Amino acid sequence: MEGIAVALAVCVGVALICRRYAIPPIPFYIITGLLLGTAGLGVVHSSEVSEWIAHMGLLFLLFTMGLHLHPGEVAKRRSSFLKAGIIDLCINFSAGFAVAFIIGLPLYDAVVLAGAFYISSSAIALSSLIDNRKLGFRESDTVIWLMVFEDIILVALLIMLASQDVSPLRTIGIILCVAVAAFTFAWKFRGHLHQFFAREDELPILVVFLSVVLAVAIAGVTGVPDSLLVIILGSAISLVASERAEAVARPFREVFLVVFFVFFGISVSFSGAPSLILLASVIILAIVTKFCSGVLIGKVIHGRALSGIDIWADTTSRGEFSILLALLYGSSAVVPVVAALVVVTSCVGSFTGKYSIRIRRWFGGITAGK
Amino acid sequence: MGFFHQVLPGIGTKYELETDSGDIISVIFMANGRVQLYTQPARCPECYAADLNPMETRRLGNVLTGAIMEAEEEGVEIAFSALADLRIVVHTYIIGAKLAGKAISDLDIRSRTGVTVLAVSRDGKNTVNPRPDFRFISGDAVVVIGESDQIRAFEQEFME
Repeated sequence: MEGIAVALAVCVGVALICRRYAIPPIPFYIITGLLLGTAGLGVVHSSEVSEWIAHMGLLFLLFTMGLHLHPGEVAKRRSSFLKAGIIDLCINFSAGFAVAFIIGLPLYDAVVLAGAFYISSSAIALSSLIDNRKLGFRESDTVIWLMVFEDIILVALLIMLASQDVSPLRTIGIILCVAVAAFTFAWKFRGHLHQFFAREDELPILVVFLSVVLAVAIAGVTGVPDSLLVIILGSAISLVASERAEAVARPFREVFLVVFFVFFGISVSFSGAPSLILLASVIILAIVTKFCSGVLIGKVIHGRALSGIDIWADTTSRGEFSILLALLYGSSAVVPVVAALVVVTSCVGSFTGKYSIRIRRWFGGITAGK
Repeated sequence: MGFFHQVLPGIGTKYELETDSGDIISVIFMANGRVQLYTQPARCPECYAADLNPMETRRLGNVLTGAIMEAEEEGVEIAFSALADLRIVVHTYIIGAKLAGKAISDLDIRSRTGVTVLAVSRDGKNTVNPRPDFRFISGDAVVVIGESDQIRAFEQEFME
């Protein structure tokens, strides 16, 4: 417990400084972990308790992600949603895959790294749009829905990686059964559930916590990863009470997720990492490919390559989902690469997110000057 | 004048008003209860102003107070953005020969479509909250209330 207390206390200080200067705290939680843990001073080590809390953080993150995957709202999207998502996926995923092969990773690790390389941080992107007052721009809508598209691909990736080791048909079958049961239940009792979640007492809080614990229990019995089940439960609840459930889950997520980030940093060891030059080129490539996909999306969706600068500025940060993929499925060769990728791109991303209007103007000046 | 509303997952709900002069005003209701308001002028990207006509002003006022009215022919949709985006449609119809002589309870309007008949206007006299045994005659103007899906069901069931 002392380790968790030390780590959390430092994180409170870090969060205070980050809020003061309006920068995203996620990379600094990881840096804190790196400094305190195996890669740094070695004063804090992960324990069973910290691992459990970190795992709950991951599950609550995925649960709230599921809440944003309201099937009706996603189905209503026009073709621009698909176009932007597919451009983003094709460019960044394939670049990540190429990088993995250059480093010399086996196929399974390569898929993990490609996923981590592709998926931007929704948390950093959304808070950048709110804090930097950019929600009014049309490009921001594109960014927000791009995050939803990435979430859907993440679900697909998780299913793919989960069905690797045991029989794929059995895993997919169980996932489908749970999904059908959860959605039918939510749809059938939507009136009752809606009223239930509107209650002001402790019951909605208990039920939200229960659904996450239930996912772990079902996972224990069936062998299907809890990460997938919790997304399905979140998405089913989004049919009846998305906003209320999110408000209830938020305190759990906020606390557990900080533990998740800092103990991720603590557990990272750079002993198996590729050379510094290789790491640096991977990171630069990650920023460049998001730039290319951003500009292309800007051109296709908004008719202006310059709009792409705004899209790039807020999607260049990799974060929570990249770490999640590396932790759940990556080997010790992938984890340090993803740690470095997340820390650097999210620092760069917080800068580009803050000054995107100036950066766009600057690019506008260059292209006009030609 | 265009008026759009869309859900932004993870953020909240965005209402966007495009004025006749092409200026855009966006109002974003966020999950934490705060609201962000943006103006994007059509012609001058460096200034922050929008030019509103009286109708547009009322629309914007409605959005900010949380009861958004969307008027269409013979109907009005009211959205209460503070109440989990509750949307209610009030619509008027003229009773044709098909329903003439039938009572509200015969037609089973509420249980079949979910729509409630709020008032009937006949020869300049209004009946508010008509009783179930109220009989329509051809030419009655009725005011009904319900969700947009229910109103659509009502139209298909009784008005076609």
